[in-house]
Amino acid sequence: MNRGDKFARIAALRPARRHVTESPAPCISETGTGGDRLAELLGARINRNNYGEHLSLLQWYATPEICSPDARSLSLLLPQSADLPASVNAAIDPRQWLFLDTETTGLAGGTGTYAFMIGIAWWEAGGLQVEQFFMRDLNEEHSVLLELAERIKLRPVLVTFNGKSFDWPLLETRYRMTRSFRDISPKLHLDLLHPARQIWRLRIGSVRLRDLEREVLGRDGRSLDWSRHDDIDSSLIPQMYFDYLRRGTAEPLVGIFRHNQMDLRGLAALAGKILALFDSGHGIANAPSAETHDAIDVLGLSRLMRKRGHSTRARELYETALRFGLPRSVERLAQRELAQLAKREMDYARAISLWDALREVPCRGKHKENGCPLAEDARRALEAAIDAAEQLAIYYEHRAKEPQRALDLIQAAIVELGEAHDSSRLPKDHTSRIQSRLLTRLLRLQRRCGATPLFRRSKARARAVDTTA
Amino acid sequence: MAQEFLKRNLQTIVFANSRLYTEVLMTYLQQANPVPPGRLPAVRGYRGGYLPGERREIEHGLREGRIRGVVSTNALELGIDIGSLDATVMAGYAGTIASTWQRAGRAGRRSGSSCAVLVASSAPLDQFIVQHPDYFFGRSPEHAFVQPDNLEILVNHLKCAAFELPIATDETFGSVDVPDLCNRLTEAGFLHRTGEHWHWTQEAYPADAVSLRSVTSDNFVIVNITEEAEVIGEVDFSSALTTVHPKAIYLHQGQQFHVEALNFEERKAYVKRVDVDYYTDAIRYTQVRVLESAASDRIDARGADAQAARSHGDVLVRSQVIGFKKIKFFTNENVGDGKLELPENEMHTTAFWLTLERPLVESLPFSVSDRQSGMFGLLHALESIATLLLMCDGRDLGTAIGERPPSPGSAIEWEEAASPEAIAALAEKEFFEPNLYLYDAYPGGIGFSEPLYRAHHILLAKTRELIAACPCENGCPSCVGPVGERGERAKEAALFILSRLGV
Repeated sequence: MNRGDKFARIAALRPARRHVTESPAPCISETGTGGDRLAELLGARINRNNYGEHLSLLQWYATPEICSPDARSLSLLLPQSADLPASVNAAIDPRQWLFLDTETTGLAGGTGTYAFMIGIAWWEAGGLQVEQFFMRDLNEEHSVLLELAERIKLRPVLVTFNGKSFDWPLLETRYRMTRSFRDISPKLHLDLLHPARQIWRLRIGSVRLRDLEREVLGRDGRSLDWSRHDDIDSSLIPQMYFDYLRRGTAEPLVGIFRHNQMDLRGLAALAGKILALFDSGHGIANAPSAETHDAIDVLGLSRLMRKRGHSTRARELYETALRFGLPRSVERLAQRELAQLAKREMDYARAISLWDALREVPCRGKHKENGCPLAEDARRALEAAIDAAEQLAIYYEHRAKEPQRALDLIQAAIVELGEAHDSSRLPKDHTSRIQSRLLTRLLRLQRRCGATPLFRRSKARARAVDTTA
Repeated sequence: MAQEFLKRNLQTIVFANSRLYTEVLMTYLQQANPVPPGRLPAVRGYRGGYLPGERREIEHGLREGRIRGVVSTNALELGIDIGSLDATVMAGYAGTIASTWQRAGRAGRRSGSSCAVLVASSAPLDQFIVQHPDYFFGRSPEHAFVQPDNLEILVNHLKCAAFELPIATDETFGSVDVPDLCNRLTEAGFLHRTGEHWHWTQEAYPADAVSLRSVTSDNFVIVNITEEAEVIGEVDFSSALTTVHPKAIYLHQGQQFHVEALNFEERKAYVKRVDVDYYTDAIRYTQVRVLESAASDRIDARGADAQAARSHGDVLVRSQVIGFKKIKFFTNENVGDGKLELPENEMHTTAFWLTLERPLVESLPFSVSDRQSGMFGLLHALESIATLLLMCDGRDLGTAIGERPPSPGSAIEWEEAASPEAIAALAEKEFFEPNLYLYDAYPGGIGFSEPLYRAHHILLAKTRELIAACPCENGCPSCVGPVGERGERAKEAALFILSRLGV
């Protein structure tokens, strides 16, 4: 029997069915292997060291320019720990920073994923020096890793975008697999994804680097010196590399080099922008006004401050953002969070004014007949109003010792919730949780006020409560 | 039996040996224990095809005591914490001693007594166990059967190994030719050779695509399209054609769904909720073809050649679901049937087979159709004893009878049939020199064939014991199969053939 036949039947030898990628037609150059062709196309050179060879490309760009962080702003960027002052000292000189971005054979991580291109960048001679290492085949990895280790020793403050969860753990694994390197860790690692998310996700929705470039970096009146116009689709990168490995198809890789260069420049520009925002945040409370999109950025900043525990600074910024003027949905969020902050700092007057503002939901009764679910915004407004009622009730019950006012509020909230439930304005599973909370408070308040029970625990319908409407 | 326990509010688990049976039993028990509408049923079902969320909910409910009864496949046999119940009822022998003790062990509270009951089905093995309880209580549980060289499984292992660490050209892995396999994987685009190593060159993590419960990992997804499309469960590839063929009644948590359409390429089955009084059972037609015989020998009958042979080797098993029966709940009447046109399922595996040569067959003092009955009856009994000897599950083996090809591996034509009737007619065909196959029911084979080949004496002897000792007159499900299916002289003929084979 034909053994080839036997192997042909084995499902395990067939690639997974859902793999649908169009690989470009093979075009092996006449001048030599794919690696040679690539070097030719890029103008890259061959690096040699103790562990072998690899391809390396050096480019210098005038922008983004070096930034000059101050200690206060920097401390907002660094991880919070007892060692913060020491970290700030280590990071204060931006010429010690090393930007890093890798291109890999997949997102699976683990030991079967390779970082076939490692791009690094640093500020030098008034501009950004970019160096890219490339493995022409998988056995060139060792020499690439040696170069990287040496660069990190020189500039031990690593700056990445999502590097803490992806790029660096992958590189650590690659180092471990070589069994030759020890202590290659940088002194500090700044991952800009987290602050970027906290500041800009509200306004932009996503936090992909190219979206940030477009919406944040490119908006200052200065446009970026590079364009993502015909940037490659990064999900195709692994397959492009595999095709190159198997067939020597070098042309698409030029696009990967370009993509990586733009990522590194974007990263450097982002670092500058974040620090500038922190800097300006210090003085912003006095600014008279700003465009709306800046106001949302200020809000993002205030949330970051709040998360870092700088409540006073955060409150200042929240107030500023509100003063600048925010779109309704975002304004509500700001009001809710500021109210919580104010409450925690015992500034009840401010908290109450915010909660009262949230209670003013336009046209509440108008949609009673309409059975269709309302737009997202109206839903959120209603939720916020009910939540504000609850917060006010908590205040009146426990702080102001005015249980009757609390009771009124809770009853109103239950009515609103019931209406929302009936007209399907809020999803059912959601309302039941809120409902049980409100009912618990209601019963307790009723006992304290000595009021006659108006509700049975199992019903949420507010038939007898016209008095509060 | 379970109903008796449930009536007395004893938390009970019922084990059934097939998914279909689980659903049927659950339907019966749910009907016997009605609850007010809107409440969850008192008796729940549990099996692998349910979605994880549902399964977690049931496990939780059992631990807390909220769920009083559950009907399950072996999915709840071990590994999942469901607390301790009051009673276990096993509908049919689990197939191995180990499984039976495991299931029994689900019952047992710290204080008070508990109870485990085995209800034997008409299957020969069940009857054997019940008639020879010392076999069960006296023996220690079976050893695990491992076949490390099954090529399907091995190649998947190799892929995962390459991901973990590049494979060197001088490395070994089991008894196979590693460089050869690695080269094939390279051709298929999984690996890439650099210097002295093969590296993994795919984006995906290979272990994600390897199923722990089946040899190949293609699953069918079941989509409920009664209202908005939602996935309600999944079924493995090999069971899909028998459980979710078009017009099948798919049972899920006692709820009936009618399969509206089956998209084979996309691996999706579309179902709609219905309320009917029957369920369906698929009719499958199987053909086996020898690809390569690994070893063959004459069978010796008391010093003389029996004009029969035993062999084992590689075979190709082709099965096709040709139709289905509609079976009414509770009465088990056949209330209709349907024809189906579905793709064939081809599987390359290993088998053990007996060849009855022409002189032997012609010398049997029976009519042609009785000879056939005898052969089928013999195979039925052989299968049961084989599972006993191999200590495997009944579903791990498949049986078929085929005409012996002129020479092994020669290009014999599959008997193409235009219609299900023609295929069914083929099943009645007269055999002149039949091969009685016992094949491994998993692609690549899992190592049952060679042991059966080596132990053929015991296999035949115990089969004789089973049939001879059976108290029925002309055959029954417990030995050669029901008289209705086999014919009246099946038992007699089977015993005669065995005597010719020297036992």
